[in-house]
Amino acid sequence: MTRSLRRALLAGLVLALLAPASPATAAPEGSLTWAVHISLAPTFFDPAETPGLITPFMILYAMHDAVAKPMPGQAFAPSLAQSWTQSKDGLVWEFVLRKNVRFHNGEPMTAEDVKFSFERYRGSGAKILKDKVGAVEVVDPHRVRFRLKQPWPDFMTFYATPATGAAWVVPKKYVEQVGDEGFKKAPVGAGPYRFKAFRPGIDLVLEAHDGYWRKTPHVKTLVLRVIPDEATRLAALKRGEVDIAYSITGPLAEELKRTPGLTLTPTYLPFTSWLVPVEQWDPKSPWHNLKVRQAANLAIDREGINQAAYLGLSKITSSIVPSQMEYFWRPPPPRYDAAQAKKLLAEAGYPNGFDAGELSGDTVYGSAIGEPAVNYLNAAGIRVRLRVMERAAYYLEYGEKKLRGILYTGSAAFGNAATRMENYIVAGGRYVYGSHPDIDGLFAEQVNETNARVRQQILTKIQQMVHERAMFLPVMETAFLNGVGPRVEVHGLNVIPGFAYSAPYEDLKVKKK
Amino acid sequence: MRRFVLRRAAYAAVSLFLLSITIFLFVRVTGDPTVLLVEPGASQDDLDALRTELGLDRSLLVQYGTFLRDVVQGDFGRSFYYRTPVLELYVSRLPNSLLLALAAMVFSLLIGIPSGIMAAVRVGGWWDSAGKMFALLGLSMPSFWVGLLLILFFSVYLGWLPSSGSGTALHLVMPAFALGWYFAAAHMRLARSSMLEVLGSEYVKLARLKGLPEARVIAKHAFKNALIPVLTLAGINLVLMVNVAVVVETVFAWPGIGRLLYEGIAFRDFPVVQATVLLGGTMIVVVNLVIDLLYAVIDPRIRYER
Repeated sequence: MTRSLRRALLAGLVLALLAPASPATAAPEGSLTWAVHISLAPTFFDPAETPGLITPFMILYAMHDAVAKPMPGQAFAPSLAQSWTQSKDGLVWEFVLRKNVRFHNGEPMTAEDVKFSFERYRGSGAKILKDKVGAVEVVDPHRVRFRLKQPWPDFMTFYATPATGAAWVVPKKYVEQVGDEGFKKAPVGAGPYRFKAFRPGIDLVLEAHDGYWRKTPHVKTLVLRVIPDEATRLAALKRGEVDIAYSITGPLAEELKRTPGLTLTPTYLPFTSWLVPVEQWDPKSPWHNLKVRQAANLAIDREGINQAAYLGLSKITSSIVPSQMEYFWRPPPPRYDAAQAKKLLAEAGYPNGFDAGELSGDTVYGSAIGEPAVNYLNAAGIRVRLRVMERAAYYLEYGEKKLRGILYTGSAAFGNAATRMENYIVAGGRYVYGSHPDIDGLFAEQVNETNARVRQQILTKIQQMVHERAMFLPVMETAFLNGVGPRVEVHGLNVIPGFAYSAPYEDLKVKKK
Repeated sequence: MRRFVLRRAAYAAVSLFLLSITIFLFVRVTGDPTVLLVEPGASQDDLDALRTELGLDRSLLVQYGTFLRDVVQGDFGRSFYYRTPVLELYVSRLPNSLLLALAAMVFSLLIGIPSGIMAAVRVGGWWDSAGKMFALLGLSMPSFWVGLLLILFFSVYLGWLPSSGSGTALHLVMPAFALGWYFAAAHMRLARSSMLEVLGSEYVKLARLKGLPEARVIAKHAFKNALIPVLTLAGINLVLMVNVAVVVETVFAWPGIGRLLYEGIAFRDFPVVQATVLLGGTMIVVVNLVIDLLYAVIDPRIRYER
């Protein structure tokens, strides 16, 4: 052995000894168990059937992976695609896919799978995606091109966020082999965890996928246990049967907070709650007067409602657009000033207040937020009665514009400021009783605007106009409260903005014994 | 006999037909399920697409015709929420419900019958008072309350039993108790009154006059006859336990038919509600039919009655 070879071997040995053990390559170990508040359905295993609910993403983030998806600190994080470009005319989006990504069954992930998954997608938002996207072309095995029929600035908002599940990739060959039903029984994805067992109504068991491209997961087994009753979920968390319990509210949340070893952890969906006086469009109604609407805004103690209903963990707001959404403009914070509210009412010609009819809402939030709001409005002289309706009936009548007075509204639909406005502010929206032509005009201007800066300016302007005209009585961005047990080191809650559940799963950790 | 069987079977078929119309219409009276299957604020396009996909854009008559045609062929449709065949869901949950119902039934009979007999034998005594109190509590305490108390005490405080779920015998203890208590109370009351009636009958008096020991009179002569109405009620109660343990199954996260029905109602999952109610109704109709036929076999006079 020559001296130089010996020296090289020695240097290699020293380097090997000095190199820190990479946590990413450590074998997964241990398990984490969740108490899930909602039944898990096999349809959640197939990204093609993603309904307009956030719930399936609880599973998609584990079993599957997307071309791009929200990740910590990034609204559209490169995932199966390592990069993408948009043509100058805004009509072509080209994604460069990662090499050496494999599905759980060992098949390589290619552009064919991306195209197949998009074309197979039939869930929420499928219509708008298919209407806007003219063609998906496979350029080479690791390059895929989306051709739009017209410039569409919201393409990524619909493609690469939980607004749809179209970017989540399934193995074409396997799906064609087993069929849609077979896929739901034995799903195969490219995510950090592979499907192990599912007992409908009981639990879903997932096992770490060692070959996941981003990193090897730390935890070997994940168990999602369905426990529909929240008192039972809390009991299971206290006993250590589960490590994380979703959706614990009211007095149970207070109890959770008091229990040593457990942590109350809120997460925030893009879920805003607000009240809307729908009679503002009727010139004969007191609500038509701006001062009345401003008075109503001042009359409500949002922080008081937050403390009473959500232990102060929700975020009070002056906008119906969630603060985490793209193109959000932050209005001045809401103020509670009962005296000023009464003064404004007097200036508007209602020194003794007025009869405002009913405040209608659904049985859950309409009651939790509507009831205290009614008390505050009554105290200011806006005499209103609470009318609570069953949720489906309420939203049906609301959508059909049959309800009068003040309406509670809450929306957790994914998207951006523009998509939120489309449903609630602009003429033609499902829940729009009336609109301002200047706002409609501005909204139409930004629809095809591909310059993000210009678009931001227009959408900011619209939000300012909505705020100045006091079209709504925004209340809060409602917190989703969860409990975390003592075994958990990294729970993944609140890491991805706007995502209610634990993720990314590969980052989760259990404390060492 | 053949005409009697055919007539009763026809009654059963008519009952089920009427039940199918009732449940079909009632679930639809509750409103549009699509708004519950998406986040609030979903676009009109998505709601319309969902309505078309679920077949809710068709006329009621067409929907009912399709439903009836499929049910006759054993197809109860696909769940709106789970997107799988409802029958598959029902069959997967049935063993859990049967297991829970059987355990609860065993518990209710083991508690209800002896305490009812003892209360009847010692009328006005300590056993009678304790039995009445037990029955009163069982019948008046809501099962969700019983369930939560059990979880707090045996699971959280003592740590003896798992709080929820299924899979082991320990998981079965609390839900069986919570479900069985109500029925144990009913069985206890019926056992008591039935035993009292039998103890006052002529043949029991005769047995006593013959000088038989009291224990033998009760065990051999009175008990057997007092048991008949209790077992008849238990049979019907078993069907109820399988199908309507909605609250207990929800509190204990027990994956049975009751919870399936709860989920069906919560999500306005029309096919699930229709199937669980119709199949539950079928069980009750079949049990009644069998009882009718057995009565006819036991008592030949019945078959001549109209």
